[in-house]
Amino acid sequence: MQISSEEMPGGITRVALDGRMDIAGAAAVDLKMNLIAGSAKKLLIDLQKVEFLGSMGLRSIVLPARAVHGRGGKVVLFAPNEMVESVLKTAGIDSLIPVRHDLDAAIAVLG
Amino acid sequence: MIGPNPSSPEPQLTLQSQLQDLTLVWTWVEALAAHYSIPAQTQFAIQLCLEEALSNVMRHGYCGQPDQSLTVACAPFGIAELVFTVEDHAPPFDPFAAAPAATPASIQELQPGGRGIRLMRKFASRLAWQQLPDGNRLTLVFAIPPLANPKSLSPSLP
Repeated sequence: MQISSEEMPGGITRVALDGRMDIAGAAAVDLKMNLIAGSAKKLLIDLQKVEFLGSMGLRSIVLPARAVHGRGGKVVLFAPNEMVESVLKTAGIDSLIPVRHDLDAAIAVLG
Repeated sequence: MIGPNPSSPEPQLTLQSQLQDLTLVWTWVEALAAHYSIPAQTQFAIQLCLEEALSNVMRHGYCGQPDQSLTVACAPFGIAELVFTVEDHAPPFDPFAAAPAATPASIQELQPGGRGIRLMRKFASRLAWQQLPDGNRLTLVFAIPPLANPKSLSPSLP
């Protein structure tokens, strides 16, 4: 599981996850995800290259999102594949953290 | 990972109650997927549900103790279903007996966990729990494309 981040225009922090967000994958990215969430005001979590998302992987998304939101920030989930999005929907995550498949739409969520 | 028939996976895995043993399960599921021609989406569902079921036994049933064992077995049922059974020696616990968690109204109310049962109910065709004399059996059933030649299955399947 790989994680990378970049700063985009408008104060947006884009975190890209690449690989399997299973128990091992989640553990591999948790520290960096939480570090990024500790300072980001507008967080775009790029899920394009996430092949698998389990419940521990969900945790690695929920906790940083809660941290950002708790400081008055915003979070958007970008471009999950069909099965990953199905996990997000089943878990009810998509009703609280917006999911967008178009980058401009995702950026618009963050204001 | 190879069963009595060189082309078929083992019908059962025995794991130690350590989360890193779950990597053995992923490799096994990949072999099963190849053997039974399981579509990618179904393989995803199987891995999702097994990760949840097995990690729950390790973390909750065995309270994180690393020296316990559990088994996961796979067998076809009819020509279009695969049945996975997870058996442990943990105290009896019916994971489906608890009421579903309340839907949070905001991100701040989102809990980091508690969604596993909901995921299993969605991604498995059928689920069942049974108390054993010294533990638990969780059964997970998944629909698969009809098997072309049921006679090609390993004769040692439970």
